[in-house]
Amino acid sequence: MSFFGFGQSADVEIVLDGLENRPLAEIKAEDGKKERHPLYYDGESVTGKVNIRLKKPGSKLEHQGIKIEFIGQIELYYDRGNHHDFTSLVKELARPGELLQNTTFNFEFLNVEKPFESFTGVNVRLRYLLRVTIVKRLSDIIKEKDIVVHTLSSYPELNNSIKMEVGIEDCLHIEFEYNKSKYHLKDVIVGKIYFLLVRIKLKHMEIAIIKRETTGSGPNTFVENDTIVKYEIMDGAPVRGESIPIRVFLSCYELTPTMKDINKKFSVKYFLNLVLMDEEDRRYFKQQEITLWRKGDKALKGHSSPHVPNHLVSGEGGPRGTEPPRPAPDNQSAFEDFQRDNDDEVEDNQKNINEAPSQNMNKEDPPLKETVNESQQNEDTLNDGA
Amino acid sequence: MITMTPPPQSPERQEKLLADALAIVKEQAFEMKLNLDKGKLMDALKQASIMLSELRTSLLSPKSYYELYMAISDQLRHLELYLLDEFQKGRKVPDLYEIVQYFGNIVPRLYLLITVGLIYMKTNKSLRQSLMRDLVEMCRGVQHPLRGLFLRNYLLQCVRNILPDNVEGGDGEGTVKDSIDFVLMNFAEMNKLWVRMQHQGHSRERERREREREELRLLVGTNLVRLSQLESITLEKYCKLVLPGILEQVVSCRDAIAQEYLMECIIQVFPDEFHLATLSPFLKSCAQLQPGVNVKNVVIALIDRLASYASSPEVASSPSQLEALFTIFSEQISLIIQTRADLPTEDMLSLQVSLANLALKCYPERVDYVNTVLENTLNVFERLQISQVEYNSSVSRELTRLLNIPLQTYNNILTILKLSHFTPLLGIFDLEGRKNMAALIVNNALTNGTCISTSNEVDLILTMISSLVTEEESSSLVEEDPEDFADEQGLLARFIHQLRSDIPDDHYQILLKAKSHFMKGGQKRIRYSLPPLIFSAYRLAYRYADMKEQDNDWGKKCLKLMEYSHGLAGSLAKAEYPDLSLRLYLQGTLTAVQIGFPSYEEIAYEFLSQGFSLYEEEMRDSKSQLSALTLLAGVFDRASIHFSEENSRPVRNQSSLAAGKLLKKPDQCRGITLCAHLYATINPSTNQVEDAQKVVECLKKGVRLATQCMDPAVQTQLFVELLDHYVYFYEKGIETISDNMISQLIAKIREELANLDSSEETEQITKHLENTLGHLKGRSNSGIVI
Repeated sequence: MSFFGFGQSADVEIVLDGLENRPLAEIKAEDGKKERHPLYYDGESVTGKVNIRLKKPGSKLEHQGIKIEFIGQIELYYDRGNHHDFTSLVKELARPGELLQNTTFNFEFLNVEKPFESFTGVNVRLRYLLRVTIVKRLSDIIKEKDIVVHTLSSYPELNNSIKMEVGIEDCLHIEFEYNKSKYHLKDVIVGKIYFLLVRIKLKHMEIAIIKRETTGSGPNTFVENDTIVKYEIMDGAPVRGESIPIRVFLSCYELTPTMKDINKKFSVKYFLNLVLMDEEDRRYFKQQEITLWRKGDKALKGHSSPHVPNHLVSGEGGPRGTEPPRPAPDNQSAFEDFQRDNDDEVEDNQKNINEAPSQNMNKEDPPLKETVNESQQNEDTLNDGA
Repeated sequence: MITMTPPPQSPERQEKLLADALAIVKEQAFEMKLNLDKGKLMDALKQASIMLSELRTSLLSPKSYYELYMAISDQLRHLELYLLDEFQKGRKVPDLYEIVQYFGNIVPRLYLLITVGLIYMKTNKSLRQSLMRDLVEMCRGVQHPLRGLFLRNYLLQCVRNILPDNVEGGDGEGTVKDSIDFVLMNFAEMNKLWVRMQHQGHSRERERREREREELRLLVGTNLVRLSQLESITLEKYCKLVLPGILEQVVSCRDAIAQEYLMECIIQVFPDEFHLATLSPFLKSCAQLQPGVNVKNVVIALIDRLASYASSPEVASSPSQLEALFTIFSEQISLIIQTRADLPTEDMLSLQVSLANLALKCYPERVDYVNTVLENTLNVFERLQISQVEYNSSVSRELTRLLNIPLQTYNNILTILKLSHFTPLLGIFDLEGRKNMAALIVNNALTNGTCISTSNEVDLILTMISSLVTEEESSSLVEEDPEDFADEQGLLARFIHQLRSDIPDDHYQILLKAKSHFMKGGQKRIRYSLPPLIFSAYRLAYRYADMKEQDNDWGKKCLKLMEYSHGLAGSLAKAEYPDLSLRLYLQGTLTAVQIGFPSYEEIAYEFLSQGFSLYEEEMRDSKSQLSALTLLAGVFDRASIHFSEENSRPVRNQSSLAAGKLLKKPDQCRGITLCAHLYATINPSTNQVEDAQKVVECLKKGVRLATQCMDPAVQTQLFVELLDHYVYFYEKGIETISDNMISQLIAKIREELANLDSSEETEQITKHLENTLGHLKGRSNSGIVI
């Protein structure tokens, strides 16, 4: 790059091999705009060419060497300029010398380990890039090219359903059930809410998917909660004995796999938040973490015709139909308590603020035992993974 | 956010809200159609969902919500037709059923899911079973009563033409069993929502809420209609699947409005033979309904339906089906009456009324069934310890209805007599009620010309209608309207003529029995009841006379009858009805002389003399005296031929004497003129006029008396009348009447007439005279000067 308009300069182009057969994946750039880059998986080789085109033909380009790097880095936004490279491979393309004409170099990173998934979050970004550097005395000529990496997981060996009774003493007891605890990104959450006791006037119920991004550590921990979707599953006030089906298709939302302590820099977790709202706009909620994972596309396509609906009630992988009514519980101590949320609607419902101290369930001190159903669920989709 | 302030109910506000919503619907529907035309399905779906979001409102009344719903479902038809078209062309949208589930709000989402699901089911039969199940389950997400009801109504509407209606189904196509499950579940959920409306909101709005629920009930009932339209539902499936499913929901919802409506709905929509086979479970469920439910209406609706079904010709031919019908109803109704303490007495009776109707329609020959109903009813009263019901109370009206049923059906009170519990039930009425019922019975007998032909039956019937027959202390303080009383007794008098037998001896027994009842009627009643009895006796005497060839004892029997009549007439005399009694005696005289049984003359004379003595002792006012005298004269005229001189003389003498004693001159005049006739009778021994001299004497005395009248008009009138008598005797050939006498009288009348002021009366007299003269002119051979 020449600031003064003299001296030789060059355009650098990185051309990856086999692009015509390689899908592009979408990812958000730092500025929030969506970009599409070639998609790679762990262990795949990254090969291609570097084309260097001299801007002033006939004039030579002196350089201190030309190299190409394959970099995987984590960038924390509050710690700008301080990139943590968890992968960095270098190939030397040319020893120091001169380039007299447009030149093409082939490069090969064979079977590159790409342990993490590309990710753009609120406070953190994990990216993979190829960087060509023409080292010069004054300023290097640098060209970067992003690629996107998806990490595929195999089908989790243990995938229990989430089943729990929660309640507020003498007010509301429900039992909810999600068919799995681990969902792939195109999966369907199927479940139901069974009302054991209803003494408050409910207005509606929704399921929210919350994405929690945790960055940093110790005192510098930043937590960002992002509600990706609110999905209404019930309208109106149910009575005791009602069973409300849940069926949420994940494929229409922008989700990433759950990421745990990525290179000790950040985590991304997902929660299902069951929210009930009463007629006074008080909200009661219960969060359950779910694990999201990415499944190979080929396995996904192995599914039946797109014109036959899946996950139907009582069909394979669908919600179960009604069950006979059960007696109301008499033993409240066994319930996980709901949390009543007042912060959410501050501007809507001023009144709740005053009620907050007395109404708020104890968030800090998670009470009572969970009654997660440990019974093995028969996983209908097990075969899909194989 | 939906506000939870109670919806503003003012009509203006509703109108405005509805208009706003409809405007949005129109706008979005327009956009949606535009996008469909361009093939932009996803955009169209988005607009459809915005349009459907209007149905999320809580502000509209059911009526306005319904209008909104109709407008939107109209628009959804466009989407449906577009998709159907695309699918049929093979241009399927992959995963469409999934895509519509991406919408975040449940109400629009489910409407779209149903719409798309319908397309899938229409184009791919093998999906029906699973999608029907899926849709009906997913709709559980809407628990708001109004929104849920309409959503499920939409579901039901959509699938109405594709519900599997076959016993065997191909892969996934589903069978009628799936349709039953589907509709039953939808029904149960809709009913729950509908019932839940009752328990929402303020108690002070209860009335409005109930009204709104009434408006919505059709939505729930449509489920049952759909079930009834499934042709593959056999009787067996109905008994095992359909009805138990419905009843379970109806009983368990414990809501009076729902229960009453749904039970009636069941009766209405399903065929009769189904009801016939499921009577017991249905009626058992009736006994379990909420206290507020009008079980009576439900049961009656069923009974009435089955009754008309059972009497239809195709069913009546296979009576085996119907055998148990009555028994089941009878038992179940008793059960209902016993278990439901809240049931008003009149409702219990209404149930019995229906049961009686059933018994009569289906088993017209089974009188014992009707009797059982009456017995049950009697038991009801006993258990409730009701010994008397007030006239015109609702209980009394129902009881009247009940008793009227056999009456109107059999149209034969003799059949009624076979109902042993009929008369005891009558006793439950107060006097007024019994009279009313008795009048109905009597009327029925009269209309149908029913003859009561044994004394035993007469005894029973007169006991049954004793309220009319016998004198009873009325508890009512209100004095009876004499006209009503006369009507009532007049009716009874007509009825007496129905107490008759073709066998004379039986008829006699009937008369004796009737007498013993009617004599208890008291003064007021015998005036009406005895005359027909007496006439009946006279008629019987004639019949004996007609058959004297066969019956040697006829004379004695006639005598008995005369004695019977004599006694009754005597009773009337004692009861201060001398006019009536006198006439009946005279009638007896005529009867006796006409029949001519042995020793009839004494009897005839006895009757006549009784009449005479009544005249002398009881007749006080001159008018009745004169008319009595006229009658006496008339009867004597007919009877004297049978009388010996020794019996005739006193009559003639007494009559003349009596005529002379009349108070007014015109009456004396007329009386004495009548006496003339008593002397003009033919003497049986001489075959001559008895005493022509006396005749003319009487007439002359009449003329004298007439001249003594002050009023010239009356005088002239009397002369004209006298003239008639003269002419009568003259023409009869009594020689003491000369031409001259008549001529003189005519001249005298003319003279008097000329002096009369012209008036209507004068005119009449003139006319009278002219007629008489006209008659005379016809006989030119006389020497009378006109």
